[in-house]
Amino acid sequence: MAHKRLRFLGVVVAAMVLAMACGGTSGGGTPAKTYKIGLVTDIGGLNDKSFNHLADLGLERAKTELKVQGDVKESKTGDDYIPNLADFATKKYDLVIGVGFLMQEAVGTVSAQFPTVNFAIIDGAGTDAKGNDLKHTNVQSLYFKEQDAGAMVGAMAGWLEKNGKAKKNQHKIGAVGGVSIPPVNHYIAGYKWAAKMEDPSIQVIIGYSNNFTDPAKCSGVAQSQINQGADVEFQVAGGCGLGVLQSAGKAGVYSIGVDADQKDADTSVIASALKKVDVATFTAIQSVVKGQFQAGALTFSIANDGAGYAVDNFTLPADLKTELDKIQSQIKNGTLTPPADIPA
Amino acid sequence: MPLGSVLFAFVVGALIVGVTGANPFSAYASLICGGFGIACTQGENPALQISSTIVFLIPLITTGVAVALPFRAGLFNIGAEGQLLAGSMACTAIGIKFNTLPTPILLPMVLVGGMVAGALWAGVPGVLKATVGAHEVVTTIMLNYVAQWLLRYLIIGGPLQLGPGTSKSLPIGDGARLATILPASNSLIIFGLPSSVFRVHTGLLIALAAAAAFAFLLWRTSFGYEIRAVGQSQKAARYAGVSVRRTIIVTMLIAGAFSGLAGAVQIAGVDHNLTDKYFSDTTGFDAIAVALLGLGSAVGIVLASILFGALHSGGAIMQSDSGISGNLVLVLQALILFSIAANFVGQIRRLLPGFGKPAPLPPELPPAAGLMSGAAATPPEVT
Repeated sequence: MAHKRLRFLGVVVAAMVLAMACGGTSGGGTPAKTYKIGLVTDIGGLNDKSFNHLADLGLERAKTELKVQGDVKESKTGDDYIPNLADFATKKYDLVIGVGFLMQEAVGTVSAQFPTVNFAIIDGAGTDAKGNDLKHTNVQSLYFKEQDAGAMVGAMAGWLEKNGKAKKNQHKIGAVGGVSIPPVNHYIAGYKWAAKMEDPSIQVIIGYSNNFTDPAKCSGVAQSQINQGADVEFQVAGGCGLGVLQSAGKAGVYSIGVDADQKDADTSVIASALKKVDVATFTAIQSVVKGQFQAGALTFSIANDGAGYAVDNFTLPADLKTELDKIQSQIKNGTLTPPADIPA
Repeated sequence: MPLGSVLFAFVVGALIVGVTGANPFSAYASLICGGFGIACTQGENPALQISSTIVFLIPLITTGVAVALPFRAGLFNIGAEGQLLAGSMACTAIGIKFNTLPTPILLPMVLVGGMVAGALWAGVPGVLKATVGAHEVVTTIMLNYVAQWLLRYLIIGGPLQLGPGTSKSLPIGDGARLATILPASNSLIIFGLPSSVFRVHTGLLIALAAAAAFAFLLWRTSFGYEIRAVGQSQKAARYAGVSVRRTIIVTMLIAGAFSGLAGAVQIAGVDHNLTDKYFSDTTGFDAIAVALLGLGSAVGIVLASILFGALHSGGAIMQSDSGISGNLVLVLQALILFSIAANFVGQIRRLLPGFGKPAPLPPELPPAAGLMSGAAATPPEVT
């Protein structure tokens, strides 16, 4: 009996040694280097129709265009960030991408443990527990000028009010933010600034739901803004903001989506302010493949096609199209600079 | 029987993987690699995988015990999650407030603080059950939400928030932290990786001690006997001179202390601050599956925790190595629970005499019986 067990143990040990030996050899020999890219989602998962989904699109594009090997790990809970990042790093991936500011601390920790592995993080940096950027030389931060995207949809809303093409035309529009944090306020800043530029008499009603997930909360804020006369509602509140779009639909006014193209969320969505996470992800991968990886902040804006807008369930009048193209090119060449802070 | 449930889950899981056109054997191979560091083919570090499995299983043991103990008394504690959050909040608050104190003072403070908070969180349903007969399933579930929203308030706009625009707390003081078993150094190389990568901490010993304490309490003390007596039949227990009310309340207090300890250990050993990841924490719910799979015994709970910890850390490897969604792990966990429920319906009914009945307190207890609990404590002569 004991003998049998011992033999079984021997077989297991032999299998383990063999497996480890195989693992050791298969990694090295190939002559043409295939770059290995690891993508770790946050708890939103790949089907969030937003950040994680867009990052995956960027990775897929890199797989076809740059012939990289791309692997994804979806984080089920916040406890998974560090193990998921560490596994890719252990396997010596050429770039490990963390999606979203929720992973800042995890990227900060793991990038210190694996100084020879390159990391990129969407909307954040590698930080310590207090949120200070550790400025590791192997971490690239992919930031966005949300105000650029906000300005495009703000200009659209302002033009509609000025020319009496909105639903109520009382020169009032609204914006519903999730929580008053920088990325949310950047969007709203651009929105308000551009709307005022188009229609100086406009009033922009800004509210916060203090929530990013519960549509009912955002719905309430949007409803009160609509009751005050707002007829274009801009949502900057993630999943919560779906309630804004639906409320606008019920009240028969226009709404504007955020981050990804939210055309299908509600028929009231006339446009979406886009944060092109796919472009950012692809750019980061491309820099590694070209051997040009650089640590530090990389900012995506209209200038490098990393931010923009999409026209959704709405036909743009020719005048408005001309106006928007003009503003876009002026932001691109630096004539116009949307502010990062909400103007008075 | 639990082995049968696990086997059943894996067979059905294999069928699901097969139907979707993938190879179940490679899926399970990578799952085993991810969970136990065995037979890895894609360059995983076995020690790292074992380490993350252990990190995941530590809170499962302690919360598993917190579900199993009331279960023995015929109580269904669905609130382990809320109690864990209460423990983690207390631990963080104390660890920040007294962050200059040295380890020998502060560490016991945060751990005991977490236990007290968890005990209070579970004590409320215990008292309600014992006095007005409010069903503990409902009250513990509701208190989970209270804990989650309290946590949300504390770190978003509340007193523990790190700064405007953040959704986390300050880190706890160094004195409040549990040591890792390997030195936390980025330059010292152990098992081929910097040693700080291996996050196994001394909370493992605390969790094992909790499991041992649970077994001792249940089988070697008179209170443990009372718990089991109440679980078997409240009527008989009362007749034998056991105060059912006291047993229910104290059982819930102890269970909450275990859960609270799990939360405190998680903060002191792994996270060192409260973050938004606790909004989506599911440890206290996985604990129910762990307690059921472990048949409510200490050894069983430890083994079930190892399985669930391994599934958790294996899921991510399975997704990146075999291209099979890590969600398969959730399917496996659900299947395990499902087959346990299917096999043990009778047993669950027997263990939960009050479950499903409108009035959980026995009807022969008169409304003013609260005053008589002293009288009930002096038993009639039983042969």
